[in-house]
Amino acid sequence: MIANPATRPPGSPIGIGGESFVVELDRFQGPLDLLLHLIRSQDIDVFDIPIAHITGQFLQAIEGGLDRMPLERAGEFIEMSATLVRIKAQMLLPRPAKFEWEEDPRAELVRRLLEYEHFQDVVHVLQTAEAQRGRHMAKGYIEARPAPMIARPALQVTLEELLEAAARIPEPLPPVNFRTPTATVTVGEKVSLLRRLIGKAKRVALDRLIKPWGTRAHAVAALLAALEMARQQVIRIEQTKPFSPIWLFALGNGDGEAGPDDPGHETGMPVQEAASERGAE
Amino acid sequence: MKPEQIVEATLFASQTPLTPSELARADEGLSEQAVEEAIGVLRARYEADERAFQIYQLGDGYQLLTRPEFAPYLERFDSIPRPPHLSPAALESLAIIAYRQPIGRIEIEDVRGVSATSVLRTLLDWELIEVVGRGEGLGRPLLYGTTEQFLEHFGLKSLEDLPPVEELPVALGAGESPAGGGAAHPSPTAGT
Repeated sequence: MIANPATRPPGSPIGIGGESFVVELDRFQGPLDLLLHLIRSQDIDVFDIPIAHITGQFLQAIEGGLDRMPLERAGEFIEMSATLVRIKAQMLLPRPAKFEWEEDPRAELVRRLLEYEHFQDVVHVLQTAEAQRGRHMAKGYIEARPAPMIARPALQVTLEELLEAAARIPEPLPPVNFRTPTATVTVGEKVSLLRRLIGKAKRVALDRLIKPWGTRAHAVAALLAALEMARQQVIRIEQTKPFSPIWLFALGNGDGEAGPDDPGHETGMPVQEAASERGAE
Repeated sequence: MKPEQIVEATLFASQTPLTPSELARADEGLSEQAVEEAIGVLRARYEADERAFQIYQLGDGYQLLTRPEFAPYLERFDSIPRPPHLSPAALESLAIIAYRQPIGRIEIEDVRGVSATSVLRTLLDWELIEVVGRGEGLGRPLLYGTTEQFLEHFGLKSLEDLPPVEELPVALGAGESPAGGGAAHPSPTAGT
């Protein structure tokens, strides 16, 4: 039998009058769901909930399950336990015989329970509607065969179209001839060029040996040629300041094509050849 | 072509519900009014001919669907994956939103007594609910409402298809009605 909460002596152990029950907590959406189940399954009048009795059952029901729940979910059950215990305490406070509650401590809980129950009814309505809707099939319910779906776009091309497309592909461009710098210029060539220029002008800018060709190989060959001829004392190299033009001057012994007594002429040639060999590598 | 033939062809080819204005796009001579009339004609004809399908209204749209009594036959075929049935938790939140929209997360949790965060995400993912605004309360909380997809999923014409609040067992008349506004009267709550 369910004891009236008001008559239950204070301090009596939380428990239930004899009947034991097992509640599977996972089945319940939350504390309200569990509480409602406890009330409805025992045909308890929701407007006169035996709060001590229900509190005991509630605590017992969650006792084993709490530590197996995620913290947040456990917290929701614990919060409800606290609410129940608080209401129970309020109910147990001694009061005059002809006491009228200003508001029943249970009222807010009852309101929430009824509201929750109300939405449970809506849930049933929605479930029914969902099930009914599920029995109406729309076009496309039976799955289209997947293979043609994938292959069709790829096959929407005729052989003619393919050949036409192939014909539109431009001929490959003729292979581009890259000049291989190693073979194009030697120090010897630059030396001859420099000799010719210096024979006419007495003064030549190093750029004139490089600019008309503009490649790195020409620059290197020209520089080496200039250095070589300076070593042979055919020319003098002058640069007034860093990065300014480099000038090559013919030396006093004259016409570039060294004279018969030019000592550098005879020794010069082998060196020049050696230099040109180096340049050709 | 007769209007009902055009409407029939369009509905036949569609996999989703079409609104009258969408259906009217099929032909210049087709008004929304004419579409509605055509649908009426077609419905009567399907009914009289005992066709296995009928035109159903889902939300604002119409769709050609098989009659429920043929479901057992069709279920023998492999069907394309359909949204699974909603979990009780999702349905609870959805029920609350349907009747109290626009409503914020906190109010939903107050009714359910449990957290609604992940459930709301699921419902948003399924496009059964959407954010319809922001409340006045602290942090201007998001307010949720149901979508056309919601009506489609449950085969409803409108929110009025849900039973009115009065027909559901509600009680406790003391001042505050627990059941807020009905579907037709969204309560301007949220916040606090």
